[in-house]
Amino acid sequence: MKKLILKLIKPEEASWAMDIALAVPRIVYGYLLTAEFGSPKFGLPWSDPDKNLKLFEVAFWFPNDVAEYGGIFAIMPAFLAWMAAFSEAVGGVAWILGFQTRIFSLLIFCTMLVVVFVHQIQYGYWNMLPGMGILWISAISMIAGSGRFGLDYITSKWLSK
Amino acid sequence: MKKINILYFVIFGLLTSSCVQESYNQTVTVILDVSGIKDIKSVGLRGDGKPLSWDEDFEMKPLIKDSLYTTTFSGKTGYLFAEIKFVVNGEFELKDKDNRQVYFDKSRKTIYKATFNKND
Repeated sequence: MKKLILKLIKPEEASWAMDIALAVPRIVYGYLLTAEFGSPKFGLPWSDPDKNLKLFEVAFWFPNDVAEYGGIFAIMPAFLAWMAAFSEAVGGVAWILGFQTRIFSLLIFCTMLVVVFVHQIQYGYWNMLPGMGILWISAISMIAGSGRFGLDYITSKWLSK
Repeated sequence: MKKINILYFVIFGLLTSSCVQESYNQTVTVILDVSGIKDIKSVGLRGDGKPLSWDEDFEMKPLIKDSLYTTTFSGKTGYLFAEIKFVVNGEFELKDKDNRQVYFDKSRKTIYKATFNKND
């Protein structure tokens, strides 16, 4: 178990400059994901009280929107909507903290694949760009981990002792 | 190590304890006073959440021509209120002002009375 956790969280060794280059977009997009995109559809302490969302609840309208994509999305819309909202709202916080960076990057990566290639594609390439930006950051973070600027770095040091 | 396992159990417990926001059918009847406005050709309602939209009028019909207009809409919602604005002859009311907030009644049948361009 310890080995598995270490494997998951231990960041790739890189220079300070590279770690800064990894951390800045991850933290900025982490903030945007949780504060702007995630919290309106997923219940968090900083969600707008007017949305009437309880903690970790997905907004009532989101599963309906997800079901409209058809296929697997119509088979289990509530689960997939919850996972997508969770990955944005909680994954954003995890990105800011550099906590379980690889796992949350995988969740965000899957969500962004759907955002870009199922939802935004109908509105043209220009509308696909924001999601694609997050997609690339999640892909890189999945491989590199948190770098020095994250809890994963501190935890992996502690577990390695 | 045990602390980490406990942390994962706590997170998992939080995840599984809630799911989709509770929603319910709500019927809203809106009555709008437009007296004083001349040459009324169309009166509509715009807002967020289906069946309303910010792009197209939800048609309101006259109770008393050129004076009182009404409409009723229904939809499933989990919110406490809907945001709306009225439109007469394609012109929005309350320009550069906040939207009206129509708070839903617990009986699930809400009646909202308003005067065009006056947010009381």
